[in-house]
Amino acid sequence: MNKPNLPDELEPGKRDYSVRKELEVNGWGYVGLALSIGGEALIYFHQDWPITLRTVIALAPIVPALLWGRVFARWVRGMDELHRRMTVEVCLFATTATLFVFTALHPLVKFDVFEASGNRDSWLAWLMDWHSWLLTSWLLICFYMLGGMILRRRFK
Amino acid sequence: MKNKLRELRAAKEWSQSDLAEKLGVSRQTVNAIETEKYDPSLPLAFKVARLFKKSIEEIFEADGD
Repeated sequence: MNKPNLPDELEPGKRDYSVRKELEVNGWGYVGLALSIGGEALIYFHQDWPITLRTVIALAPIVPALLWGRVFARWVRGMDELHRRMTVEVCLFATTATLFVFTALHPLVKFDVFEASGNRDSWLAWLMDWHSWLLTSWLLICFYMLGGMILRRRFK
Repeated sequence: MKNKLRELRAAKEWSQSDLAEKLGVSRQTVNAIETEKYDPSLPLAFKVARLFKKSIEEIFEADGD
């Protein structure tokens, strides 16, 4: 029988963690993140570039993001039933919690709470930019790890 | 759901990893079933029953039965 995939394969510090597997599953995610950060910097420094080119640069991370989603779904399908169930539940928790944080942040940004508190130029205000892919990725990873810890405790 | 997986496995002198390999699942899943924290799906329950040459009812017992 084929050995099923394990969530621990992608968690640094765990016995089953493997850098090869990490790159195999999350490689496209890292490419997307790099394209996103690089693209934002390019657009910021070259605001005189044609709108078509800037649109292409801004939307470029969508392609690796879709490829990453495909590879991740395949990895999840390769798990046994318990881990597949746990991973799907953790993903649902992480996406719902991230959406909740964005919903809570929206009025704070809309009513200039960060500006009023003098945090406009701080790293916090930069991170709280709710358009940022970096914040989305960071929140998703944090909630994914938190959800994983809670669920592992339930089935331990 | 109660089950006799631990006793059946011990009778065959298999480790959790041995049983996991035969069933095509992870050791953690075998452990979660044995400690009754996780109820297996019907296909997995059939696999277990076939492996031990018993019926599902002989291995798994629903709570309150």
